[in-house]
Amino acid sequence: MGSEVPNLLEPDARSSLVVSQDVDIAVPVHRHAAVKARLLEVRGLARSEEEPSVWLPTEPELIEVNFIGRDEHGTRTGETYVFEDDDLPLLVFGHLSLLRQGKTIAIDDLSIPLPRPAGLILEKLLTDRSGEKGDRDLLVALALLLVSEAHDLAEIETLYHGLSPELQYTARSGLSTLSLLEPIMSMPDPTLHRTLVAELLGRLERYEPKQ
Amino acid sequence: MNEKLRERARLIRERSLVRAWEYRQRAYSKGVWFRFRRVLVDAAEAWIIDEADADVLELRGHITHPVGRELAPPKRLFFLTREELEPVPHRRQVPVRLHGELLLARSLAFLPFASQR
Repeated sequence: MGSEVPNLLEPDARSSLVVSQDVDIAVPVHRHAAVKARLLEVRGLARSEEEPSVWLPTEPELIEVNFIGRDEHGTRTGETYVFEDDDLPLLVFGHLSLLRQGKTIAIDDLSIPLPRPAGLILEKLLTDRSGEKGDRDLLVALALLLVSEAHDLAEIETLYHGLSPELQYTARSGLSTLSLLEPIMSMPDPTLHRTLVAELLGRLERYEPKQ
Repeated sequence: MNEKLRERARLIRERSLVRAWEYRQRAYSKGVWFRFRRVLVDAAEAWIIDEADADVLELRGHITHPVGRELAPPKRLFFLTREELEPVPHRRQVPVRLHGELLLARSLAFLPFASQR
């Protein structure tokens, strides 16, 4: 559910939008046991001793994998917490509950389930990270916007209206920051897509009370 | 072993408290940066203009955007059409970003995106 999602959503998964530094895999907490069992079959990656939710490549052509938790149906939905486990602990991010199952794409013999763009765009706009990592999150949101269709934009509006006023404000603030970012190498150039961002922000503001 | 994750979760919860405070402050000076960025979002182009030219624009009835008056020192922010901008004699285009030149300028003219006109 990270920067590789817009790449995979491009036609034929052509992967031209973002150069990913790692792969984030969102693990639904109710599926944790099954994922842990499948990890025994993984080759070419080894669990990091320092941070066991991170798996590091043991082969040069692979990149790091981060397992993060998603709690959509539990009692702690919307909360950020640590799912404790000796082998595969997870940092469960509250905003990942915005994600909805999207299409599953097939590449060779792999089936890759992807989230729908709308929830992931909002999750990225709600980023609490600052500096380059925060900017990269916003540029991933832009990359997702570039592969979004009309129904995805409508879904962003729907999800946005379900957010608290505080999170709505944060999402709008994120869009305003995205509109003013400088280009970063290997990411979509935000200066070329400012109209798109302005239009989305205008769309979200249509129902805002004037302050 | 999960101490790092617990620490990251703690920091995230801490940042959400800061975000809540920022939200409560949105109508006050803390929120002015969002309001200023929000103005810039609608600007397709940004131009630094002379104070004298800004005086002329005001005399001609152009209204400055209120968020400029919230800043210290205040800025005069105009949204103009290209036809209104072109006769302004001393103008210099700058990128629409939060950079030193734009932040130091006392008077700015913006051209809106076509969809905002």
